[in-house]
Amino acid sequence: MLFSHKTQKRILPFLFMLPGLIFFFVFQLFPLIKGFQISFYDWQLLPGRVSEFIGFDNYLRAFQDQVFWRAFKNTLVYTLVTVPGQMILGMLAALLLTSLPKGRGIFRAIYYIPVITSWLIVSLVIRYLFQSPQGLVNYFLVEVFHIVDEPIAWLRQAKTAFVPILILGVWKGIGWNMVIYIAALLGIPSELKEAAAIDGANGWQRFWYITVPLISPTLVFTLVMLLIGGFNVFISVYLITGGGPMQQTEVMLSYAYHQAFDFLDFGYGAALSYIMAVLIVFLSVLQLKFLRKPQEI
Amino acid sequence: MKHKYIFLIMSTLMIFTLLLGACTTTTGEVVESEEGEGSVEEVEAPAEEESGTAGEPVTITFWHAYNADVEAKSLEETLIPAFEDENPNIEVQSVLVPYDQFRRKLLIALSGGTAPDLARVDILWVPELADQGALANMDELWSDFDQFLPGPLSTNLYNGSHYGLPLDTNTRVLIYNVDMFEDAGIAEPPATMDDLLLACEKIKKLDEETYCFADGGTYAWAVNPWIWSFGGSVTDADITTTDGYYNSPETVAAYQFLKDAVDNGYLHPGILGGGVDSWGGFGQDQIAMILEGPWFPAMFEGQFPEKEYGMALLPAGEGGSVSVVGGEDIVLFQQSQNKDAAVKFLEFLLSEDVQLQLATTGQMPVLKSVIESDFVKEHDFFGIFLEQLETAKARTPHPNWSRIEEIMTNTGTAILNGTVGVQEGLDEAVQLMDPLLPLDILE
Repeated sequence: MLFSHKTQKRILPFLFMLPGLIFFFVFQLFPLIKGFQISFYDWQLLPGRVSEFIGFDNYLRAFQDQVFWRAFKNTLVYTLVTVPGQMILGMLAALLLTSLPKGRGIFRAIYYIPVITSWLIVSLVIRYLFQSPQGLVNYFLVEVFHIVDEPIAWLRQAKTAFVPILILGVWKGIGWNMVIYIAALLGIPSELKEAAAIDGANGWQRFWYITVPLISPTLVFTLVMLLIGGFNVFISVYLITGGGPMQQTEVMLSYAYHQAFDFLDFGYGAALSYIMAVLIVFLSVLQLKFLRKPQEI
Repeated sequence: MKHKYIFLIMSTLMIFTLLLGACTTTTGEVVESEEGEGSVEEVEAPAEEESGTAGEPVTITFWHAYNADVEAKSLEETLIPAFEDENPNIEVQSVLVPYDQFRRKLLIALSGGTAPDLARVDILWVPELADQGALANMDELWSDFDQFLPGPLSTNLYNGSHYGLPLDTNTRVLIYNVDMFEDAGIAEPPATMDDLLLACEKIKKLDEETYCFADGGTYAWAVNPWIWSFGGSVTDADITTTDGYYNSPETVAAYQFLKDAVDNGYLHPGILGGGVDSWGGFGQDQIAMILEGPWFPAMFEGQFPEKEYGMALLPAGEGGSVSVVGGEDIVLFQQSQNKDAAVKFLEFLLSEDVQLQLATTGQMPVLKSVIESDFVKEHDFFGIFLEQLETAKARTPHPNWSRIEEIMTNTGTAILNGTVGVQEGLDEAVQLMDPLLPLDILE
């Protein structure tokens, strides 16, 4: 034997971790570092060409770029709408399902389907539904429910083009939140609720004063994850509006992608993604610091 | 704890070896060609001088986005085997990359030094890729440029040299819905812009939900035929300024025409964003006219086999009937190790026989001699496209074209939805476009 039994025992866990580690280094860490480097250059695509070091120019350029600020604002709006939307609707679904006497498994599976369907397909379906003037959504609004007189030109106006993207973002995330909340809800000892009920607490009070504090670590966890996810919105925007009309629905990632792959401006694209990365890390740290109670860490 | 450190060092080393293995390029140095001098300087020896002789067998890769059912099948099952029979030492690897992923995959391959030898690319990408130093200068590798149609050939020009060769060409003609024309009482396709307006009035009377014509957006492929047909243009001939061209009275008239068409309900509002299923609308008698390319007959008849349609030249305005040149060029990458073998395959693809064979799959040929052939002359619909191509123009060949076109697209949308006045919008666009035109290389 090459190694003693003791050494083998030490090595073994690392060997098991190795595939994951390699994956992490090659596909996560290396691009991260490389992207950081690229963001300081007027980056040339081809190997062998000299890229000029331009310091913080790419970053400074972003702050003077109107479209960047619009993309930033849109990303914020997306996050502020879809994160609470997913959490509230996910919680509602979880509460309903946990109170079901039977058939919980089936409904859980049904509600989870949107999570596992491909973004590509549902984005195209949503785009199709919101066509104008002859889309299905317009049909229901005008012909069936008579809510509006004229079909709404959803994807043509800056104001409404973002609506399908928001709806898709919420709809697709409900299932994931629901599953996590169900697990958390089932972990609450029923004695507590019973005791509260005996003390005369109504349903809302039991939810607000018993359930919410007890599952607050789960809530914080989903909040952080959803926030990161919200900032990373890309595929749906890219496929539903392509950032249009007139770049009004551009979000940060779609704009970074646009700069890099459409204009071959990889330096600027990398800088944009780093600005976003810094924002996400900052927000996540803030959340964990303020929302988590010390004893739960 | 000592073991731990040793292990850490070992695993780090291992990972770095792996990383290095993954990241080094195998192509050797890519030396940029400056003004045509000493462009090809490979570290490894290139393929044997003449690969027809008993040299080392080489493999060349060819990326394309041909459709799988017809075009790629013909390439892989007929053309490549024929080429390999003639050149036993060259193996051609055909790689079908779907069009929507093509650009991204090509850029990634280029930056990783793993580009294919040859690729069939959108004519608009050639100046851009040449500007990046990705393409071999064909002036050094190819002699006879006169055999090509001048329009498609011109799309390969960058800084005075050819950085690719035309492979197939196309343009857009007017396709009209025969049933709707009959219902509306329109005798023949509109020959002028006035005829078009008259036809639109009649179409609109059929139903509030019917549209005279439709297009997918305000990008150049859709809008430029109108600009040119009204006598306007985007830049001057030397591509030095847009002032006085993109905001000229003629260009203003073109945008005004489109704006009025949207306001009157002649032009489907899908052009403002969100797109439009123009083929579906056309097939279901909601849209009377569309501009389409030579791929239309085969694909449309697959969807709507019974639907009757006609083809005509674009309606003529002050500038005549001017459509937009489309199509693909074939480029040879600077990173290629087998340029001699690749040129041989180019010679093969651009030979009369093969161009004729490609024509049978719907690819319009680019050789003058093939245009004169009986097959093309007697073809069902190539005739109208070739007639339209005689006056068709190419979109501005410029490395910054993507940025220029984005300004055009945004401006067009703003004008058509009434956010900005026509003249005002075009003047603003000129201010944004002009700084993009000067090329560093010319300084």
